Amino acid sequence: MKTFEEKWTAWIDGELSAAELAEFEAALPDRAAAEAEKGNAHKLGAFLKENMPARAMGNEEFFHHQLRQGIAADARTAAPEESAAARPAFWPIGRLVWVGATSLAIFCVCAFFVMREKAPTDQSQYLTQILNARVDPALGPNATISMFELKEDKVTVLWTEGLQSLPSEYATK
Amino acid sequence: MPRRFLLLIGLMVALIWGDVASAGVEQMVWSGLVMANNVAQPDKIPPELNRIEGTLKSWFGYNQFKVIGQSRKTLVTGSEDWLASSKYFSLLVDAKGETETGYRLNLKLFQEKSVLLETEARLSKASPLVIKGPQVGDGQLLLVLVIQ
Repeated sequence: MKTFEEKWTAWIDGELSAAELAEFEAALPDRAAAEAEKGNAHKLGAFLKENMPARAMGNEEFFHHQLRQGIAADARTAAPEESAAARPAFWPIGRLVWVGATSLAIFCVCAFFVMREKAPTDQSQYLTQILNARVDPALGPNATISMFELKEDKVTVLWTEGLQSLPSEYATK
Repeated sequence: MPRRFLLLIGLMVALIWGDVASAGVEQMVWSGLVMANNVAQPDKIPPELNRIEGTLKSWFGYNQFKVIGQSRKTLVTGSEDWLASSKYFSLLVDAKGETETGYRLNLKLFQEKSVLLETEARLSKASPLVIKGPQVGDGQLLLVLVIQ
C-alpha cells in the first residue's frame, strides 16, 4: 500500500498505472494547484540536468597514485606482523628428537614385519642343500651318491661310495 | 640454525652409511682338500675345521685331518670362481649368485685332468658342506666348504 507521498512522486514522474492515476487524481483536493506543482517539479529537474552535470576529475592520475601509495604503506606495516605469525620457526631440537625417535620406531616396526616374512621358517633352509650330483662313470662306474643334512651339527654331507681307490701318493700336497 | 642443520645432515649421513655398510657385507668362503686318516699321534685339526671337528670324527671315523690344498675367496658379487688344488686333485668352485641364506655353487672335483665328481649346491652361511671323495691310501679325501 503506497503512501500519499509515494503516489505523489510517482504521479509527478508519470509512473502510475491508469487505475492508480484515475484514483489518485480523483483524490486530489486541488487539481489545478497539483498540476502547477507538477509542472514546476519538471522544470526544476530539467534545469538541474542542464546546469549541474557530473564534475569531471581533473587530477585522476594523481588521485590514483596517492591511493595506491596509501594501500602499499598499509600493506607494508601489516606484512611483517602477518608473516611472523604465519611462518613457523625452524623445528626446535626437542621436536626434531621426537620426530627422529618416532621415525626410528616406525622403521623398526616395519623392519620387524619384513624380516619376519623373509626369515626362513624351516630349519632346513639354513642348511646347505645339495641340488644335484654326479660321478664320472669312467672313474667310478659303481659309485653311488647319498646326501645327509645333519641338523644338529648344521653340516651337510655328500657321501660317495664305490669310487676307485687311489694310491697314497695322491695325498701329496 | 647451523647447528640444527648440521644435526640433520649428520643424521642423514649416518642412515645412508648404515644402509650402505649393511648392504655391502662381503663373505669369505674357505674351500679345502682334506686328507683324513688314523694315526697314533694325530696333529691338531686345522682351525677352519674346528667347528665341524666332532662331525668329521664321528661320521668318517678318522682322528687326523690335514689340509692338502685350500683356497680363501672373498665373494663380492657372488658370481666369482676359484680353485683349490693339491698335486693330484683340484676343486673348481663356480659361484652362481647369492641366495637368501648363502650362495649357489657349482663344484667340480678334478682328479688330475678328469672330472671325478660334479655337484651343485646352495651353500648356507650357517652350514658347512663336506663331500666324501675317493679312498687314498689308508685315508680318505674330503672336500670341505665353509663360509667364514
